[in-house]
Amino acid sequence: MDVSGILEEHKNKFKSIQVDRLIPVEFDLGLLSCFDINMLDENKLKSNPTTRNNYLKELAREGAQLLINELFSLPTTIDEDSYYATLPKPTTVLPREKPVPKEKPMTRWEKFAKIKGIQKRKSSGKVFDEATGEWRQKYGFKGVNNDDQKPWLIEVPGNADPFEDQYKVRREEKKERIEKNKRRSQRNYEERVAVEKGIKPHEMRKRELQKALVMSKQSTASLGKFDEKLKGEPKIKGVKRKFDPLVGSADKEKSKNMEILNKVNKGVTKSTVLNVRKAQRAMNNAKRNKK
Amino acid sequence: MLVQPKAKNARSKRFLANREAKVVENVKTAIFVRGSKTSKVIQDTLKDLYSLRKPDAINFTKKNEIHPFDDETSIEFFARKNDSSLFAVGIHSKKRPHNLILGRLFNYQILDMIELGIEQYKSMEELKSKMCSVGNKPLMVFNGEGFGQNEDLIRLKSILLDFFRGETADKVSLKGLEYVITVTAGPQGPNGEQGLVYFRTYTTGLKKSGMRQPRVELEEMGPSLDMRIRRVRYPVEDMWKLAIKVPKELKEVKVKNITRDGLGDKYGRVHLGKQDINKIQTRKVKALKKSLDQKPAKKQRTMNVDSD
Repeated sequence: MDVSGILEEHKNKFKSIQVDRLIPVEFDLGLLSCFDINMLDENKLKSNPTTRNNYLKELAREGAQLLINELFSLPTTIDEDSYYATLPKPTTVLPREKPVPKEKPMTRWEKFAKIKGIQKRKSSGKVFDEATGEWRQKYGFKGVNNDDQKPWLIEVPGNADPFEDQYKVRREEKKERIEKNKRRSQRNYEERVAVEKGIKPHEMRKRELQKALVMSKQSTASLGKFDEKLKGEPKIKGVKRKFDPLVGSADKEKSKNMEILNKVNKGVTKSTVLNVRKAQRAMNNAKRNKK
Repeated sequence: MLVQPKAKNARSKRFLANREAKVVENVKTAIFVRGSKTSKVIQDTLKDLYSLRKPDAINFTKKNEIHPFDDETSIEFFARKNDSSLFAVGIHSKKRPHNLILGRLFNYQILDMIELGIEQYKSMEELKSKMCSVGNKPLMVFNGEGFGQNEDLIRLKSILLDFFRGETADKVSLKGLEYVITVTAGPQGPNGEQGLVYFRTYTTGLKKSGMRQPRVELEEMGPSLDMRIRRVRYPVEDMWKLAIKVPKELKEVKVKNITRDGLGDKYGRVHLGKQDINKIQTRKVKALKKSLDQKPAKKQRTMNVDSD
């Protein structure tokens, strides 16, 4: 039986989905887009708005038809009540929003654990509290480790002072543990910053200390002139205090005061004068950021 | 002592973590900023583009003294505040009437931007046609040979693609292909000046075609813009290189010895070591046993075990 006639008839019932293009159209299905670099009809684009808009609409229709033909030929999955086309990865290169995240250097514990082969074990954050018959957090709010869960009786260790408050000892030990943890995390942080800056950690610490020293000196009225000198103390740069002699030439004093007055009159403010030091610092920061 | 920046509570910690650099990034947020002087055309354009870009968009309703091409600081400040990396700024002036600036940022610094003068405009309100639903991904069609040759147009294409691509998705609902954005590069002027760029948006209607693929019919939705490219800022090369870097985790790992041909068939290559014929397992026949002495020795061992 010849069915070609029936097929032809069936086909004629619908409008065509075929679009002809001289140069094949490029697709980037990951971005649901297509790029058509065929020649356009200049006359239609330059003529009156209605013809132009109709032409643009026709172009858009054909482009969209091509794109939809491609999309409907992709492998599909059914989810809930709709067909989903599985998209390939986008081929067009588009920039990121932020730089690729840098790998954080390992903390001291992580380094140690790696050498020892200690692996993180996943444990649940909750424990069963038999007294109340409830599941409770191990740590944190209403946690088991909190002091309201303290035992009603604590055995006094053999070597301890019998009159010592064992509950207080417990509290203080916990505080100490927290402090110790904080100190360690601070140390890890400092080491991380040093690694990121490309300096050795102890060198970094030295620098920070020196900075603090300079600052403390600047906070005294005499700029640390009469402070006790430390061993190996660096010479502070840029801290000068020069006093003019009380008795001197009147002209010098006059010109100096006039200079100040002129500045005020001209309206020279902080914002109009270039702060060379500040500018230099900004430049250096910018350079560092670029790296 | 170095002060460690720390969030005060879990919510702000989560918030800050969301803003950090990531391997798989968030959807880019766009900000829509009005300049100190705007026209009705510019205001409506910003409004319409904002409604296309929703929900990952922030609309600034107040005027701002802003000129991205002359001074980058304020746009970079806004971007940092709102954690956005795309912007649209509308300004109107005598020198540059109906000025629309589209651009992107990388790491809160301007990467590239393009200035467009709007010459013809039709808003969504004027056209009053069917609307697409909020947050839907558009189909994008770029027409014209200029998009393959002209540097400015290529830049425009890249920015527009970035602007409207929405969420990165690995699958798309075939029912949800609701609207099309087409950008057509018009012919050049007689003196070789840049032609107009026609930006049109249409809603789609999918009709039966007797085949698997439907027939597409379009209806103009708006906004419709005829624009002329004015100034273009290209990215600094170093910055661009950093911006297009693909993280290690997302790079496809090459699998050794497996190839696919054009038809999608998979071929595997298997490497076998040299075969040792002496150790090969053949049919088990008593006569082929290596030696008969082994047997009593084995028995003795088992006996020893038993005695223990």
